Amino acid sequence: MKTKKFWVIGLILVFLLLLAGCAKQPAAPQQQAPPTPKNPDLILSSTTSTRDTGLLDVLIPQFEAKTGYKVKPIYNGSGAAIALGEKGEADVLLTHAPSSEKPDVDNGNFINYQLVMHNDFIIVGPPDDPAQIKGIKTDTDAFKKIAAAKSVFISRGDKSGTNTKELAIWKKAGITPKGSWYQESGTGMGQTLQVALEKKGYTLTDRGTFLAQQKNIQLAILMEGDKDLLNIYHVEQVNPQKFSKVNADGAKAFVDFMVNPDTQKFIADFGKDKYGQPLFYADAGKSVDQIGK
Amino acid sequence: MLVLSVIGEGLIQAGKLLITGDPEMLEITWRTLQVSGTATLISVILGVPLGVVLALRKFIGRWLLISIINFGMGLPPVVVGLVTWIFLTRYGPLGSLGLLYTPTAMIIAQVIIAFPIVAGFTVAAIQAINPKMYFQILALGANRWQLLWLMLREARLGLLAAVIAGFGGVISEVGASIMVGGNIKGLTRVLTTAISLDVSKGEFELATALSVILLLLTFVITAVLTGYQQHRRQPQ
Amino acid sequence: MIDQNGITGQVLLEARDLLLVLEKREIFNIAQFTLNAGEVVALVGPNGAGKTSLLLTLALLQHPTGGSIYFNGTCSTRENILELRRRMAVVFQEPLLMDTTVLNNVLIGLRIRGVPAPVARKRAEEWLERLGIAHLKGRSALRLSGGEAQRVNLARAFVLNPHLLFLDEPFSALDYPTRRSLLVEISNILRDTRITTLFVTHDYPEIPFLADTVRVMLAGRIIKSGSVAAVLGEDAAVPRQIPAPWNSASS
Repeated sequence: MKTKKFWVIGLILVFLLLLAGCAKQPAAPQQQAPPTPKNPDLILSSTTSTRDTGLLDVLIPQFEAKTGYKVKPIYNGSGAAIALGEKGEADVLLTHAPSSEKPDVDNGNFINYQLVMHNDFIIVGPPDDPAQIKGIKTDTDAFKKIAAAKSVFISRGDKSGTNTKELAIWKKAGITPKGSWYQESGTGMGQTLQVALEKKGYTLTDRGTFLAQQKNIQLAILMEGDKDLLNIYHVEQVNPQKFSKVNADGAKAFVDFMVNPDTQKFIADFGKDKYGQPLFYADAGKSVDQIGK
Repeated sequence: MLVLSVIGEGLIQAGKLLITGDPEMLEITWRTLQVSGTATLISVILGVPLGVVLALRKFIGRWLLISIINFGMGLPPVVVGLVTWIFLTRYGPLGSLGLLYTPTAMIIAQVIIAFPIVAGFTVAAIQAINPKMYFQILALGANRWQLLWLMLREARLGLLAAVIAGFGGVISEVGASIMVGGNIKGLTRVLTTAISLDVSKGEFELATALSVILLLLTFVITAVLTGYQQHRRQPQ
Repeated sequence: MIDQNGITGQVLLEARDLLLVLEKREIFNIAQFTLNAGEVVALVGPNGAGKTSLLLTLALLQHPTGGSIYFNGTCSTRENILELRRRMAVVFQEPLLMDTTVLNNVLIGLRIRGVPAPVARKRAEEWLERLGIAHLKGRSALRLSGGEAQRVNLARAFVLNPHLLFLDEPFSALDYPTRRSLLVEISNILRDTRITTLFVTHDYPEIPFLADTVRVMLAGRIIKSGSVAAVLGEDAAVPRQIPAPWNSASS
């Protein structure tokens, strides 16, 4: 029966296709002679805004080529990024919410806590600036004006580093943001900027993501420069004493990589050719108070 | 942002990616097929026999089991992803398998999603056969395997619907794939997770382009399956 | 009596102490039921008497709660039931054809028995010819009229050369002209082939066309048994061709 042959041939083809796929593994480009560490799999937990700057897309392959580790970067909001570390489900973290990181450093969940770089947060909004915040010197004052004018403000609402910063500013300004003007997008920075554009609203963003998105997002930088708005990045290992399954060697290698002078120089130059200004300022070795000086 | 311009840009970009055979797009598309195809295949191998048994055999708890299968058809993929993730994490019950953030983990999650769909549709397809047909086939002298084969052949319309539904359910899902796969470039990224990533970054044109490719892929496969299903069959 | 398989005057099927209880209800309780080689027995009775259940049980398609069935002296057991089933054929009231061509439907039973394809095909085509539906052999079985479908069903049974044929009200769903012409054809076939047959019906005028003996079933028991004339009366024993009111000579 012709139908029967049809079936059989079809099924065989499907089978072969799938088998062929199993044999063809994703080609991992092998460099000249990278060392092969005992446990090459390394889980890096970081944030979506870090991912969106594109920095890690370039740094990770450099690290892999140099050390032979295979990095699995997992990106979430800061809340989840840190939580993964707290559970020992990641080996090394690159995060930028120091107030959330501090408790884990204090209780020993994270070790080898090193300053890497910073960028800053900026307040962006519609070019016509309905709340008139351009020129204001402090972030709390800018927020107060936005609240008073009940201008649309988009919050990320996802416990990310940016969100944590935003909530801290409201708190310092003594305002609990509520009302139809204050909207929570619950998504990443790129999409939140999109929402702000759509709704002609203000939002707090890190400069890096904004610069990367600038061609699509016709919002203006309306407030910047307040020391309070510094977005500070640390790299830290998950403590192998507390979590036996952690790849401690790999994690240490990554921390060393992030703070070594060559990488630091790369970070300091990153983005200059594309945006005319760097996305980050390299800070390894400094103390936190020295940043921005 | 004009809706039409995004879609237009997206279509153009999709064309470019396809014509130039963009390697990253090809890699993601191939992995999508592999993961969802394997998951569908496993779900059919597990789900069809279960569906047949549930449809034809009486036993205690049959009603309960069918209820669970039907409930499983509506399982939110993101919930499946979360539970699978919990099981596969390092300190979870299956952590020692080291499967988290691998394509295998994605296949596991997708099997959990597709298997009840295939089984549920199979139960309905077999039950749709005239119950007296069972006696007629037995009366023709069929042994157990011949009976099974003939019943499956009679139910083939419904069975193909089962496969199409199962496949459609997993090739389109993103919640479970992201959670247990991690959307890692070059390792666990598939079309749906890539689209989700591009959206969150605000790259709507690229997201649209990948969506077009995903829709094309899904359409081609389901068209072939529909071809089998509707072969030489016209409404009266 | 000598049937097609050359078995003389013998008991082909014998059931003893047959009991069927389903969901605490007794469906039938029959001390003895015998079919002799070559005979055609009509089983009549009101709806709900248990006729179809008895037929299913005798055809080894349903397990009785108690009792045993002997086919040609062999007691049916789990081990041999398949082999015994393959010597029988059953025609139900609904055609129950499968979703494929008419020819394939007729071939199914032969394929199941492993009959080689060319032999099977030849036999199938002969029977399609004999039942007047050879022109339909390539058609989808789902696209037939009631009468055509039932002819395919009958061909599917006869092609197996069964030792024992069960007919469960095969004509009741058909319209009058179809029923008339089929009755005559089947009657001829049964006479030619001498297949031992059990024929369940509740349409008495059909009986004299096909059957020699009648058994009456009521509430799960056989209450009367004998020749058609003895059980139903001399009048009923004469096959009566009732002319069609619309004056069609034959169909």
